[in-house]
Amino acid sequence: MRNVFERRASSWVALVVGAAALLSFPLWSPNPYILSAGIVVLSYAVLSTSWNFVGGFTGYMSLGHASWFGLGAYGTGLLITRAGVPSFLALGLAGVIVAVLAVPIGIAALRVRGASFVIVSIALVLVLLLVFQSWRDFTGGSDGLVVPRPFPDLLPPRAPHGVLLPVRRAAGPRAAGWWTIDRSRFGLGLKAIREDEDKAQSLGVPTFAYKLVAFVVSATFTALGGGLYALWFGDLDPIFQFSILIGSYMVLMALLGGVRHLFGPVLGALVVGVAIEYFKVSYGDTQFHLVATGLLLAAVVLFMPDGVIPAVAGLLGRLRPQQSSIREVTAAELLEQNRTAADRPDSTDSTDSTNGADRAEVRR
Amino acid sequence: MIGPNGSGKTTFFNCVTGMIRPDSGTVSYRGRDVTGKASHRIAAAGIGRSFQLCRIFPRMTVLENVLAAARPRGIAALLGSARGAAEIDRARGWLHRVGIDHLEGAEARDLSYGQQKLLELAGVLMAEPETIMLDEPAGGVNPALIDRIAALVRELNAEGRTFIVVEHNMELVMSLSDHVVVFDRGRPIAEGPPDTVRADPAVLEAYLGV
Repeated sequence: MRNVFERRASSWVALVVGAAALLSFPLWSPNPYILSAGIVVLSYAVLSTSWNFVGGFTGYMSLGHASWFGLGAYGTGLLITRAGVPSFLALGLAGVIVAVLAVPIGIAALRVRGASFVIVSIALVLVLLLVFQSWRDFTGGSDGLVVPRPFPDLLPPRAPHGVLLPVRRAAGPRAAGWWTIDRSRFGLGLKAIREDEDKAQSLGVPTFAYKLVAFVVSATFTALGGGLYALWFGDLDPIFQFSILIGSYMVLMALLGGVRHLFGPVLGALVVGVAIEYFKVSYGDTQFHLVATGLLLAAVVLFMPDGVIPAVAGLLGRLRPQQSSIREVTAAELLEQNRTAADRPDSTDSTDSTNGADRAEVRR
Repeated sequence: MIGPNGSGKTTFFNCVTGMIRPDSGTVSYRGRDVTGKASHRIAAAGIGRSFQLCRIFPRMTVLENVLAAARPRGIAALLGSARGAAEIDRARGWLHRVGIDHLEGAEARDLSYGQQKLLELAGVLMAEPETIMLDEPAGGVNPALIDRIAALVRELNAEGRTFIVVEHNMELVMSLSDHVVVFDRGRPIAEGPPDTVRADPAVLEAYLGV
């Protein structure tokens, strides 16, 4: 028990320190480039966390979340420029529109699993890319869409904190949403789907409805992230908004940090985002930064397949005093168990409990 | 239910529990037609099942495995904590009943195969089924554990739950069953009390190979 509390305390400390470092970063960032790169990295963190609501909980790997990112960005931009809706109202409306759109799309896409689902999600991005490129009159096509920015007074020289406003607005609801789902019965159902969908359904979990809700929540959060992007950067182009690369980054960041943790995608975004920016600076206009990013990801997947958080936690666990394995029982204890609980099946099972201990050790 | 490998026993299970939709024929349960209904609806109607190759949620704890089968009623319950006191008590009750309550904090994948079988059974029971379909409950477990599982089935049956069991262990089938159905090539070829079936020439030929 004590171990659990220690672990909980140390993760709270890490959380507070991390949050303080992130939220104060405009104050200590040395120059405007770092500042703007930092904002990009934090936006990635927001998007990747949004993706994780479906990818992390249900294990459905959508490579096409750029669809929701793009729809949210364009929805916000178009509502402002074509309909004259005030900026933040437009953002909210775009979120609602995407949530409504995500229902039929989810119903269609979630009928298939595994690789088929991945392909459907990619197809969606490509379809949307073509639509937004071709529908020039409405979307501006590849000339782009300029969105008036509501943040003129929030830019760094005048208000060093203001720069983080969108990130703060985005982070709160996601953290709250994750926390609520993670501890709820709904969340447990989603995790059961991730582990074994048919088994979960046979136990009575209405898997399709659960998946759909997670999908819509994730799409909506991603769209709101896209809307904030539109408001912040003020310049949209279909080729960038509906890009496979953006969707892939969301997935890779989440995988890298660890999809089972709220802060996995955040950590992944920090690592991958910083690396991407660094490689871009180092290798300039060549495409080598993509190669370097790929190598980094290959290294992480090879050596930390569950992501950075579990890998680091495992490392720390090894440094702590060893917790005795669940299966380690002395011969005397075993004898005692057999005597007192003759009807307990695990005592009859004792022959393989030694093998089990080895197995548990190896896995740890 | 007995019969040679490939005779359609598991397929029958899958048709009844909604894992696959039958090409023809109907499935009714307690007077209701449940043919082709989604498997969570069939679970809700009161049929629970285990799987031939023991399916559990390997990366969840033992307790979470059982809690996942708790049936939330209403949206509020759905967003409420998965670790509500009442559910935890029930889950621990079933874990105690099958005899693995001391492992509740362990990850399910770290359990031995026999323990995983018991865990699967505890999860099925947590969903409060009236009818429980077990697909080879004795497959791959040691003799002492088979006795334990058989005793559990008898107890639960005495409490009013109906069991449908697919099994190759003849001794177990004959000692547990009130009624035995023999499958061959997708259709039942004989049924009746254990002793009658055991003596049926068609059964001897198709299955027992005598």
